[in-house]
Order: sequence, then structure tokens, then C-alpha cells
Amino acid sequence: MQQAVQSKSMSSDTNSKKLSDFGARYGIHLALLGLIVLSSIVSPAFLTANNVSNMLLQAAPLGIVVIGQAFVILVRGLDLSVASVMATAAVVATSFDGQPGDVVPIILVALAIGVATGLANGLLVAKRNVSPFLATLATMIVLQGIRFAYTGGAPSGNVPHFFRIIGSETVYGLPYNVIILAIIAAFFWVLLHKSVFGRQVYITGGNPSVARLVGMNADRVIIICYVISGTLAAIAGLVLSGFVGIVDNWVGRGMELDSIVAAVMGGIALSGGRGTIVGGLIGAAILVVVFNAVLLFGMPVQFQIIIKGIVIVIAAAFYVKRGA
Amino acid sequence: MLTLSSISKSFPGVKALDQVHLDVRAGEIHALVGENGAGKSTLTKTIAGVYQPDEGQIEYDGEIVHWTSPGEAKSAGIHVIYQEFVLFPHLSVAENIFLGHERRGAFGLIDYPQTDRDARELLQRLGVEIDPNDRVSELTVADQQMVEIAKALVHKVKLLILDEPTAVISGHEVELLFKRLRALKEDGVAIIYISHRLEEIFEICDRVTVMKDGHYVDSKNVADIDRDQLISLMVGRDMSELFPPRVGEAKFGDVVLRTNNLSVNGRVTNASIELRAGEITALAGMVGAGRTELALGIFGGLPMSSGSVEIDGETFTEMKPALAIKKGLGLVTEDRKGQGLAMQLDVAANITASDLDAVAKYGLINTIRELQIARDEIREYQIACRGPRNPVATMSGGNQQKVIVARWARTCSKVLILDEPTRGVDVGAKVEIYRIMRELAAKGIAILMISSELPEVVGMSDRVIVMREGVVTGELSKDQLSEEAIMQLATRHEAA
Amino acid sequence: MTALAIRSFNFATKSRSGLLVVIALLVLLFFFGALISDRFRSVSNLLNVFEQSTGLALVSLGQTLTVLTGGIDLSVGSMISLLSVLMSGTIDGEAARVLPVCIGILVLGAAIGSLNGLTVIWLRVHPLIVTLGMGALLQGVTLLYTLGPAGSVPFEFDYVAYGRLLGLPVGAVFTIALFILVALFLRYVPFGRAIYAVGDDEIGARLMGLPRKRVLVFVYAFSGICCALTAIYLVGRFGVGNVYTGQNYTLASITPVVVGGTMLTGGRGGVIGTLFGVYLISLLNNLLNFMDISSHYQLIVQGLIIILAVSVYVEKKRAV
Repeated sequence: MQQAVQSKSMSSDTNSKKLSDFGARYGIHLALLGLIVLSSIVSPAFLTANNVSNMLLQAAPLGIVVIGQAFVILVRGLDLSVASVMATAAVVATSFDGQPGDVVPIILVALAIGVATGLANGLLVAKRNVSPFLATLATMIVLQGIRFAYTGGAPSGNVPHFFRIIGSETVYGLPYNVIILAIIAAFFWVLLHKSVFGRQVYITGGNPSVARLVGMNADRVIIICYVISGTLAAIAGLVLSGFVGIVDNWVGRGMELDSIVAAVMGGIALSGGRGTIVGGLIGAAILVVVFNAVLLFGMPVQFQIIIKGIVIVIAAAFYVKRGA
Repeated sequence: MLTLSSISKSFPGVKALDQVHLDVRAGEIHALVGENGAGKSTLTKTIAGVYQPDEGQIEYDGEIVHWTSPGEAKSAGIHVIYQEFVLFPHLSVAENIFLGHERRGAFGLIDYPQTDRDARELLQRLGVEIDPNDRVSELTVADQQMVEIAKALVHKVKLLILDEPTAVISGHEVELLFKRLRALKEDGVAIIYISHRLEEIFEICDRVTVMKDGHYVDSKNVADIDRDQLISLMVGRDMSELFPPRVGEAKFGDVVLRTNNLSVNGRVTNASIELRAGEITALAGMVGAGRTELALGIFGGLPMSSGSVEIDGETFTEMKPALAIKKGLGLVTEDRKGQGLAMQLDVAANITASDLDAVAKYGLINTIRELQIARDEIREYQIACRGPRNPVATMSGGNQQKVIVARWARTCSKVLILDEPTRGVDVGAKVEIYRIMRELAAKGIAILMISSELPEVVGMSDRVIVMREGVVTGELSKDQLSEEAIMQLATRHEAA
Repeated sequence: MTALAIRSFNFATKSRSGLLVVIALLVLLFFFGALISDRFRSVSNLLNVFEQSTGLALVSLGQTLTVLTGGIDLSVGSMISLLSVLMSGTIDGEAARVLPVCIGILVLGAAIGSLNGLTVIWLRVHPLIVTLGMGALLQGVTLLYTLGPAGSVPFEFDYVAYGRLLGLPVGAVFTIALFILVALFLRYVPFGRAIYAVGDDEIGARLMGLPRKRVLVFVYAFSGICCALTAIYLVGRFGVGNVYTGQNYTLASITPVVVGGTMLTGGRGGVIGTLFGVYLISLLNNLLNFMDISSHYQLIVQGLIIILAVSVYVEKKRAV
């Protein structure tokens, strides 16, 4: 009899539950779609090939950073150092003379910066139990100091032609940097959603104690996630420097917050263990579309920031209401 | 004093309370009993204003009340001592006692000397020696409980609710608690006493209300019923039905796991135990006796400080969970949410977590294989869910527990440790888990069951090891087994 | 030597006197500096450091309270910028407007802070996200209002920064008084204990019937007021409010809190530790200046200090 009572109360919930499940899963897709439809209705310029290509160009560096940020947030972390890594990688890239032969060393140096920063973050968080916020804040500041010291305050040099192409040219209307983003996204999608390591990420983020007790090396998983984030940030820094063309000490500024905003909007829970790569990328896309729409609608550029601030709070509240 | 009529309360997917009645008089100790999951805690929280009932009414002190927050119930003189104490570890004892009711001096500012004096006096009245300046995090569990009771005294309590107060204390401390409760009763305080230990109910309570599966069963004068009657009210069936009989003859194999003077982190001292293949060994004792720590020490969840673990003749002085799993061990932890499951993940991911290699090739997970394994396990253990992709968070406690048991039963080949395996699961799932334990034992796996429920220990185990304060105090074979014998070994003084 | 320092740090935190260690480090730093440079230990330099620490001290005071409840306020930088441009823009050189505008700025700061607190309660979103969003919003509003410096304040208004009271900088003395007042409030007013309790165990605080919501609104509102005070001080000091005035304070305000021994997990620490944390950082930066170490390296040092501090105060290593 008791079971009958329970199943009855269950079934009355089912419909609303299905609906809210659907909302949680596809709400972000719908939001992006709605935004695109709305923008193209209001502004005819929105869906022109030129504008779309332009948005994609802008979206690529952010998308690359978001993927790394996603890994870190999935293991209950946060990476505030990404923008600093981007700028440092970019500054280093320009400090060579822009000879074609420098491309490989530049990439290697940039990657080394990313890996080293990620490693420092990961070790502090996993081994010293420092809160991710403070650990990455500290590395961000240290890196900033190193960068300033290296450039003496004023970076000089040219972005090699190779990166200019990668950062800003298109092939058949498709920007190179989007192709790079697609390759990276595909690789990390497989890593996160199809591999043993990805499963370890979810379990470590969902419940670190469980991860340890089922024999996983949770510390190592956490460290690797930070290294992924650092590395991707370095790559994004190179791509972005190619997009901007000139380099100052603040390339990628604000990207730490934008990437967190995009991830949260995309349904990656700060409490860890929940969210997907695709979600994070859609979050990034929404951000870029919103930024673009603000300008196309003739609003002052400042509204970009204001809307960003409101959207992140609403998005976070939306996922809280799912009753995590 | 307090009358609840037809109280109902639902949570998404569960009706926790269904038309529950309760009637408590001033100056009585009223026992509230029932199996885990019967709704006692929900009822307690409803009385305390944490939850608001969906239906029914609460009459307190002659008035119908509709509390919307715990604060309102508290200022009406209701004090609850939850199983998990509401103490602030970084505040001092005195600050905790008077939190929200600070002793004030000039200008309404906190008068610390007065606070200190009053705290001392209160603690003295309780007959305990606790320094009011100590931080609560530095106290023993028994002392923390005394601080909780001291808090109740500050608040001019009219109705005191204790949720499993003796789960964490023993012997002498229980006596002290009972003395204190009797004195409060003399003062006209109404007390609701929730406990699993039936002997305590007969010792101290005047009346008893029985709940089962969220329903009200009956209320009786304690003097009018005996133990067996009470049990059959609680369980709704004969106890012996709960425990499935062993299949065939008891045939125990060799010793597969042995600890040699194993010490863990100051919580376990020089424990030497043996587990035999095919045998169900229970590890009994009070909460805090070091049983969980011993289990974690064996499994590598906590570091060994000295001694060793011997598995199949191989000696280890250091252990990691990964190694333990490789050697054929499994551990079903006590804290399902905290250490058992990744709640957001689905059934399949939780089942395969301890042995991902079995479903992986070249570091990639073979989804088809994983789903197949999960489906098999769901069928095998009759886990009620919408399928392998059902997130475990939406499932009932009993089914969640079965997921964990399924995980370890699949990967462990020698020893399975189960820490309070039936805590918080309904009767049906309980029987199911007992059946699984019997089956695994019959397959030749050594089972170590940690349990605080004596009927379960007596009903299931072939042998019992008892611990007290981190030390193994004795061992009882099947024919020496009785609840009294276990209690004697588990408590310092003669059993209460 | 570092190992020794860490060990003594660990010992000190165990015996709950992290505060003494910060003070000891401060003294140590002073003597080290005094050995290196005569000018460093001169009264006028020390007064200078004292005076310049005021801005950071005020923001960090509010930040300490939000951190004590287990939260954080990442909107402080944007709030300071907005309030300072609004202030100098509205006063616009008119002496008569100074007082009413200052009061208005304080009220506005409290209002924005309250909104932070209420949003945390209503939407049940982590304070980090709420205040991050608020920070972006405020930054946008600031830039809508002006894209650079706005208005001005009367010249005499620099009294709040440079004025002397018995030979000591007015703003800095006021700040110390405020810290002491808040410290006493936290210890001697029941509401102050509730702030600690909420940070220690939020669910427990609810079960105890403590005013959890009021605590949250209060700490964020107070943080807003501290931002307003910082804005007033900075406008006085520079004579004008600028859109970038507050920018660095968001993250900078967290360093002294952490160095002063307040845990990001809430429930432990206090404002006096933060005050000494502020002095330690200000003195260190000053000393690095005297040692001719460029501001770039000062950043590195600051990052390392955070790492050192959090590693030292770190909670007991988790069990499982």
C-alpha cells in the first residue's frame, strides 16, 4: 500500500519533472537560438556572412579558454590565472622578431608557460589544499609581475605572420582560429566524455572522497585539469595575439571572468561534477552574440558589461533552481 | 502540552509523513520509535519549525501554532538536540551555550565574565567538568552533547527533543544523561526521546509512539507492553523473517585477511583481527569506538600509524585504496552521500567507478560494455531506477545503497567490508542487502559488517568482534552471541 | 630560514595567535628595512606609509566581514570606481555640496551592498557569482556615466587624506578607530557573534534561529559602506574621481584578509588581523621601493605572500 502511495505521488511529479529536465538540458541551446533569432529580426546586419565570420573570430580565443576552465570547474576549482597566462604567452610571442623560423620556439615557450602555471595552480590546490580562488589569484599576480619585469612595462616586437593568419584570416569564410577551436574542442570532448580520465574528472569533481576510495588518484586528476587550463590559455593567448595584431601587457584582459561566466551560463556547476564541453562553448557563443547584438542594436558598448553582469547571476540562479 | 493531529509532509517523490499523530504531556518522557526511514527525523523537524507540514495541525501549550522558522519554535521553549549537534566548532563552549541568548551587561553588550560564570554553573549542574573557554571542536563527543543539553537549560526549555542521544555516548555517560533527563522531567519538562535502543525506552520512558514508513502506528504506555510487542509494532513482522537463513552448511575457509597490531591515527590502537573466507564477521561497538577507522585503515582510506595488514599471506605496512582494490577488497562506506556515491552521476558510472579498466580500452570507455554491465547489476540486485543512465541523486536511499553494494560486489574477490550497510534504508532494501551478503559469503568472500544495530549483528553474523575506544575488547562466536554480551564488551561498565 | 619561519608560523597558528605572527613579521620587516635604509625608518616615511594604507585598509575591513560569513565581495573595485566618479562629478568643485554628496555616497554604497546580500539570499547563488555580476554591472554603469575623470572636489577636501591630527594623518587615524570599533562590535555585540556562527555553520545557524538573512545583508551592506569610505578617501587624495580608481582593489582587498588569518571558508579570523595585514603589505611595498625594486617585482612578491599565507593558515589536511 505504501508503495502505491509513493508511486502515485511520483507520477504526479513526473510531467513537471520531465519539463524541468528538458529545461535544464536544452535551456541553454534554446537561449542561444532565441538570441540569434531575436538579433537577426532586430538587426538585418546580424546574419550577414561578414558579421557571422567576425563573431566566430572573436569567439575562438574565448572558446579555447572556456574548455580549459570547464575542466577546472568540473573538479570544483576555478582558474583566475587564464588571462595572465594569455597575456604572458602573447608578450613572449611578440618579443621574438617575427621571423618565420620563430614559430615553433614561440609555441613551445608559450606552452611551457601554460603548463608551468597550471602545474603551480594544481599543486597548490591538490597538495597544499589552498582554495582555488587564492591559488590562481596568486599565480595570476606573480605571472603579471614576471611579464612586466620581462617587458619592462612596454612590450615590443611584432606578431609573426603565421599567427596573424591563424588569428584573423579565413578560408572559405571560415576563420582559421575557429578551425583550431574545433580541433581542440573535439579532442577535449573525447577526453572528457569518452575517456577513463574524463570519468575520473567527473567522479573527482562530484565527490573527491569517492574518487579516492575507489582507487583514483584524485590529486593527480585535479593537477592535470589545471595543466589543461593553463595550456589552453597559452594557446588562446597566441591565437588572440594573432587576432589583435599588436600586443600589450593586457592581452586577454577580462578573459578569466568571461570564461567563468560562459562556463556557468553553459551549465557547468561551480560545485563540481556537472556540465559539458558543449555547454561551455554555447555559453561562450551566447556571450559573443550578446556583445555583438549590443553594438548592432546601437546601444553603447558599456551595455556589454552590464548585460554580462546580469546574465551571469540569472544563469547561475537558473541552475540553482533545478534544485541541485 | 504538544498535540500533533494528522500531520502530513511530502518531499519531491516521497511522502515522508502521512497522517501522523503524536500527543506529548508535560512531565513525561515520550519515546518515539521506528525503523530508519520511518519519518522520526522529519517529524522532529516539523515540530521544531524547520519544515512546515502540508496538512494537519500542531497544538502547543494550548494554542494552534504555525511556525515558519526554527527561531519561533525555539523562543516558544522547544529545544532539539539533533543527532548531528548544532555546535559551532570555532566558538568557545560558553559562546555556544549562550549563542542567541547572550549574557548582556551595560549597553546591551556581551558580558563575558558573566557568561563565563553562568556557563560554569550550568555545566556544574550537569555534573560535567568542561572548561567554558575551550573551543567546542576540542571536546569529546560526550562533552559536546552535554554542551547541547546546557544550551537547552539556558533557553528555559518546555519541550526537549533528543534524537538518538545515546548513539554517541556510552556507559557512565548514558547514566549521567538519564539522571539529567529525569530531573528535567521532575521540573515539568516534556521530553521526546528518539532511540533505537529498546532497553533504554523501558528504562526511562513513560509512553511510546511507534511510527513506520511515515505512518503513525500506535501509542502505548511503556508499562503495558513488552519488548517483543514493541518490536512487532515497529517492524510489522517477526524479526526472524528479516534475516535470511544461510544457504547450506556453514563452511568457512582460510583466513584471508589479518591485521597485526594495526593502529590508525590515534583512533584505533593495536587491533588484531582475522577474517575468514565465507564467514560473516560483525564489528560491533559504540559509535566512535574506532570501527570505521579500522575499516578505512585496512582499505587504505586512512594511513596506518603502525602495525600491518596481511591479505592472503602478503603483508602490507602501507595501503592505498587502489592497492586494496587490486588485492580483492571492497568497502561500502557508512556515509553514502559523503563517501559512497558521486550523486550527480548516473547508476552506470557509479557502479563501474572502482574498476574502470574493465570497461575501457586504450583509455577510452566502451559505453556499450558499460551499459551492459550496469543493466546486469540492476537486474541482479533489483535496483529500482529508470535505467543505467538514471542519476543516483533521484533514487531512494535503499536503491542508492544497492548501487554501492553492486559496485563492490562486482570487483571484490576476497573481502567485502560493509559499514552500517542498512542505515537509512527501508525494510525491503534491508532484507535485500542481507540476502546479498549471504550470497557473497556463500561464494567464499569474507564479509566484515560494521553495525550499531544489535539485532542485525545477532541475526546476521557468524562471529562478532567488539571494539571500545579504539581497542578490540573481545570476540564472540555464534553460540556466545547475545545483545547483552556485546553490550558488555562495548561499554566500560556493566551493560545498562 | 624560511623553514624556521614556516615552522614558527605553524606553531603560532596552532596556538591561535596568528595575529602575533603577523605583528612579529611586521616588526621584523621594519628592522630589516631600517638596516637597509635610513630614509625608510624616518618618521615622515612611516607616516607616509601609514597614510597611504588607508584606502586598502578601508576596503579590506568590509571584505573581512563578508569573508567571515564564508562569502566574498568581488564588486568592491567597481563600486569604488562608480562611487568616486559620482562623488566628484556631483560635487563638481562646489564646497557646499560636499557634505550632502558624501552622505549620499555612503547611502548608495550601503544600498548596492544590500542588493548584493539580498540577491545572495533570494537567488541562492554563491556570493562569488553575485558580486562578480554586480561588479560588471557597476563597471558598465560607471563607463556610461563617464569615460575618464569626472568633476572635481574643492582643494581643501584633501584634508581627509593629508590632514593631520596631533601630527598623524586624519584618514588613517579614523580608519584605525573604525577597525577597533568593528572589532569590539564583533566581540561584544550578540549580532557580531552571529556573523561568526553563520560563517562557521550556516545550516546550524538556521536551526539555532540565528538571523542568518540579516547577517548576510548586513555584511554586504557594510562592505558597500566601506567602499564608499574608500571612494571618499581616494577622491580627497587625488582631488578627482576616476573610472579606474577602484580597479585594483577587488583582488588587492583579499590579500590582507587572508594574510591576517581570516579563513575563506568562514567563521574564523578577525578584523585586527586584516589591519596588520594591510600594514604588512604597505610596508613591504614601501621597502621594496626603497630597495629600488621595480613595481613589477613587487607584484611577484605580493603573489608569493598570498601563497605563503594560505599555505600556512591552511586547514587540517582532509582525512579521506
